[in-house]
Amino acid sequence: MSLLSLRGLRKCFGPRLLFDIEALEIDEAAAYVLTGANGSGKSTLLRILAGLETAQADHVRFLGAPAALHPYPEAMRRDIVYVHQHPVMFSTSVERNIAYGLRSRRMAPAEIRERVDAALAWAGIAHLRDRDPVLLSGGEKQRIALARAKVLRPKLLLLDEPTANLDGPAREQVIAMIPALLREGASVVMACHDRDLIALPGVRRIKLKNGRLVHRHRDGETWPLRSLG
Amino acid sequence: MYLIDAIGAAFGLLAAGDPALWQIVWVSLKTAVAGLAIAAPLAIGAGYLLATKTFPCHRIAIWLAQAAVSLPTVLIGLLLYLLLSRQGPLGGLQWLFSQPGIVAGQALIALPVLTAFTLAAVQAADPRLAETAFTLGASRLRVMLTVLHEVRFGVMAALINGFGRVISEVGCALMVGGNIAGETRTITTAIALETSKGEFAQGIALGIVLIAFALLINAALMLLQGDVRAGRAARAALEREAAR
Repeated sequence: MSLLSLRGLRKCFGPRLLFDIEALEIDEAAAYVLTGANGSGKSTLLRILAGLETAQADHVRFLGAPAALHPYPEAMRRDIVYVHQHPVMFSTSVERNIAYGLRSRRMAPAEIRERVDAALAWAGIAHLRDRDPVLLSGGEKQRIALARAKVLRPKLLLLDEPTANLDGPAREQVIAMIPALLREGASVVMACHDRDLIALPGVRRIKLKNGRLVHRHRDGETWPLRSLG
Repeated sequence: MYLIDAIGAAFGLLAAGDPALWQIVWVSLKTAVAGLAIAAPLAIGAGYLLATKTFPCHRIAIWLAQAAVSLPTVLIGLLLYLLLSRQGPLGGLQWLFSQPGIVAGQALIALPVLTAFTLAAVQAADPRLAETAFTLGASRLRVMLTVLHEVRFGVMAALINGFGRVISEVGCALMVGGNIAGETRTITTAIALETSKGEFAQGIALGIVLIAFALLINAALMLLQGDVRAGRAARAALEREAAR
């Protein structure tokens, strides 16, 4: 079933058309890597889907119901979480950072505690619970950001270059977290160039090229995404 | 010699706990804090909105807010005098030559200072803070409170500057308050009055109190900022040590 469906998505910066996407379908519990040259609009597309940028769209459906990109619907805000390439941490403990979204949803303290504990364990950062995340490494911050998103049990996770500027074990740890997110039933769209992320099993590849969105098979053949049907 | 005598007499007044002098200090503090308390929520909210939202005439609004910082307080006093005088539209309030009148003036003076400082602090904040709060489902109010928490030192600097501006202004307090002993006489209006009478001791004593306020408040801010920075540096050093 389609989780998010868009038709006629256009983004302009002043007179310059960044992209004109005929159709974009994101299925439930599916993973996508979004590739494209620098400046092709990968991050902008993710930010539009997250409600952080405005764009024109002829037709938007979320979970089968008509929706809009502006004003961004509460239902989409509740179910779609975006993680920056360089996640920003609030100046409080790691635990409170992860609990932030749950507190915003006015969840019961016991449930917050339970979910945060599980997320800390999942991300392998339980030992950092009381630390100030501002002092932590890029890899640790990325894992906190993923835990902070996962704890909300979103239907769609938008990850902007999740392994950029990470190397060695930090990068491998982040890559290992993605299949776990998929197993929980979330759809994931990752803007990235990381070959190991692209090669993850079951990941579909979409590419922004010359302002159009194309689907790419593993053999390199491309065609407009609309024809996926 | 008379200057040294006057300074000596000023310290004598302070040490003796002269009730008239401390009454003036109390009126000043009370009206300044009340004015600041009224202006702060409005100005901090306005500063945040100006920094984060765009709307028609947005740049003009920023320009006016920043220009208003240098508005002479005597002009604000004149405006308020006209509003609060018997024939004025707010004459029915009977706030002229009363402490509520001074508080209203202090709030008007503090408003642009707090707005401009908050605007600058929020503009300097990482825009990803608000985006992260938004994408994690925070309400608009919670996004604002999160960003303001992250720039809290800038907001505190705004409050300190606002306090400094209202406690040290003389024009508005004199025009709207009327310098009534025990009622609307503030530190600055008392200094002006005592100086005009050639009574320098009380003026100097009040000036010392004013300087002490400025030093104390700025020291508190520096300590707070220093504590946070030093604490982070110490923790980072400990962690580096532990990692070896």
